[in-house]
Amino acid sequence: MKLATLLLTSVVAFAVMAAPVAASTGDTLDIVKKRGYLRCQVGTPSGGFYNLDADGNWYGLDVSVCEAVAAAIFGDKNKMEIQSVSSQARFTALANGESDLLSRTATWTISRDTQLGLDFVTPNFYDGQGFTVLKSSGITSALQLKGANVCVTTGTTSELNLTDYSRQHNLDINIVTFEDWNVRDDTYLKGGCDAVSIDKSSLAANIVSFPNPSEHLLLPETISKEPLGPAVRHGDNQWADLVRWSLFAMINAEELGVTSANVDEMRANSKNVDIRRMLGVEGNIHEGLGVSKDWAYNIIKQVGNYGENYEKYIGSGEGALGIQRKGTLNELWTNGGLMYSPPMR
Amino acid sequence: MTIIKPVESPTVTAPLSKNSALRWVRKNLFNSVFNTVLTFVMLYFVYVAGKGMWSWGITDAVWIADTRRECFAISIDGACWAGVYAWFDNIFYGRYPREELWRINLGLVCLVIWMVPLWLPRVKAKISIGMTTVFLYPFLAGYLFSGGAKGVFMQFMVTAAIVCLLVNTLHAIVGVCSGRSLLEFIVTLFGKKNASSKRGRNILVGLFAIIFVVIYIWQMNWTVERIPWTKWGGLFLTLVISGIGIAMALPSGILLALGRRSNLTIVRVFSTTFIELFRSVPVITVLFMATTMFPLFMPQGFVLNKLVQVIIAVCMFNAAYMAETVRGGLQTIPKRQFEAAHTIGLGYWQTMGLIIMPQALKHMIPNIVGNFITLLKDTTLVSIIGLFDVLGMLRSISKDSPWLGLHKEPLVFGAFLFFVICFAMSKYSRHLEVKLSTSHKK
Repeated sequence: MKLATLLLTSVVAFAVMAAPVAASTGDTLDIVKKRGYLRCQVGTPSGGFYNLDADGNWYGLDVSVCEAVAAAIFGDKNKMEIQSVSSQARFTALANGESDLLSRTATWTISRDTQLGLDFVTPNFYDGQGFTVLKSSGITSALQLKGANVCVTTGTTSELNLTDYSRQHNLDINIVTFEDWNVRDDTYLKGGCDAVSIDKSSLAANIVSFPNPSEHLLLPETISKEPLGPAVRHGDNQWADLVRWSLFAMINAEELGVTSANVDEMRANSKNVDIRRMLGVEGNIHEGLGVSKDWAYNIIKQVGNYGENYEKYIGSGEGALGIQRKGTLNELWTNGGLMYSPPMR
Repeated sequence: MTIIKPVESPTVTAPLSKNSALRWVRKNLFNSVFNTVLTFVMLYFVYVAGKGMWSWGITDAVWIADTRRECFAISIDGACWAGVYAWFDNIFYGRYPREELWRINLGLVCLVIWMVPLWLPRVKAKISIGMTTVFLYPFLAGYLFSGGAKGVFMQFMVTAAIVCLLVNTLHAIVGVCSGRSLLEFIVTLFGKKNASSKRGRNILVGLFAIIFVVIYIWQMNWTVERIPWTKWGGLFLTLVISGIGIAMALPSGILLALGRRSNLTIVRVFSTTFIELFRSVPVITVLFMATTMFPLFMPQGFVLNKLVQVIIAVCMFNAAYMAETVRGGLQTIPKRQFEAAHTIGLGYWQTMGLIIMPQALKHMIPNIVGNFITLLKDTTLVSIIGLFDVLGMLRSISKDSPWLGLHKEPLVFGAFLFFVICFAMSKYSRHLEVKLSTSHKK
């Protein structure tokens, strides 16, 4: 009898736990405004995208997206709180309302977009998986990696991509997995694997951190598409619009030549209708977003345009990773890249 | 008949071979051919391992540099301690605003001042001092660390804590100087010999009331800036979580252990279920449940403080473990002790409080401290759920652009830090054991 009662209680408890969570609709912006600050989710620190500095401040390309959204809503990029969530808990933390926004190098895939209850807004970085090898190995193409030991980190799409690639090209690659990328790199440096495979941006960053960067070679092949971008909860279109256009405003500003340095002058003197419209001098593009007229001005003034942020954190800026932007997909469409903002009118 | 004169024979120092290091070495390391060979082989291994560590960590290491690249430029094989040093604030205080660090330090100093009387031999009323540490100090520290506006309750408790700290300190000073308690000292100060006289007591109550009111009025204008818990981190956060865990684990563990041995069915079933549930689940699962699953069942936008969730999870988990340790201790107490207590007319709580627990706890000290050490180390798991405790900070150094890839040195430093703390705890437990082992002297 006692046991039966106990069992019943636990069954009821689990039934309650398993009850589906009602999807939220259309109130994130109100919640954020009422709270007074944005809760923006990043991951455990990742070079160039979201890092802690020695003074305890967050910085990086993805952090600048958080700042842009905060600047658009509140006119102050600091009215946000960065939450660092492990990759296992990232989508749950967004779904349960703990985070308003996810900005953490998550790859946009159909299964994530359709099955996890989230919407990717638009990519802010186009990455692709590649390989690093030792120059002395004589390997110059990924197709020469037949039977090689390739080190990857677990829990990312890179392991799956590598399996697919190996099968497709009959390479018979032996995949060695690691939980921690530092250990993976140490193993590689000590000769434990012939190549390391992960997104090329990370590979570039890793090579920079090796004792002798010139001894290593990034192979030309890109074996996967990794569009990385911010994501929001599925079903809140108003909120998704705001995040999407905050990012587009940064891209558009770069295309129009508006930077954090010249934005004041542009707002005062520019004759260009596109610029005047974006900065809120004329027209009323802000109305549908539910933010103030100078939202885009605040983003550009306080956070900067896309190119500025790229150089500052990823590109050639001081303390940046040093990944060339020229010739990559992350260039503006006018320079042959994929960074393209729909017109702001 | 000979007369024997008591002549003191001259003191002779022991022959050199008896107590010299050389003799010890010969007796223990080279007493046979096999042992001699073994000694040399082991010495060689120690040399090889030690030499690598020594040259990596000390002789080839770089102590001053601005980036890891500079470290490489100076010495490519050595450790780069400069990166660890640059992150010291993060490692110890987390993201706490740098101009407010004094608050954490002050909180720590208060704790030390509060606890020091517990170790001074001439101070009386140690139990009350210990109790106030557990029940009043958290309010003072909590306010110092988080700041913001104080509610009426908080104002009251902060005042009480400050008054208590003052009284404790004075009491300790008086105790060390004269061996008396503060009470006796003040009463004699007012010319009364007898502490229980009504006048003396009135004077004391009045004095305390005046101090309390003065401090209350002062603290009404004393506010510090609010620092959200999300900025807490580093060793500070580790100590906060494990400190609360340690302070809560013992009392709740005792209650649960008593509950499990209780004759009341509901109490027993509840305690047993609780203990078995938490003992059968890994701590990381409890943490995940508490932080990510729990909010799923809450209304939209409802976010409970994650730190509080973690602390509750840690407390519950460790209470369950502590309960089993305490139950183990209770079982060493022979039944006749209970019967003897009943015979002299003690009730349940008196039996437990005065007869059983003091004996049982003494036996349990190694286990209890072992539990505390485990708790402190387990706390590092919170770095997995996104709190930047000391381990989380140490692991973040390798992602900071200037120190990209620097991960061995921080972990070595972390190991050193934990060793110092845990070793101190275990030494203290040994000291307590010796001090309390009144009846089991060998």
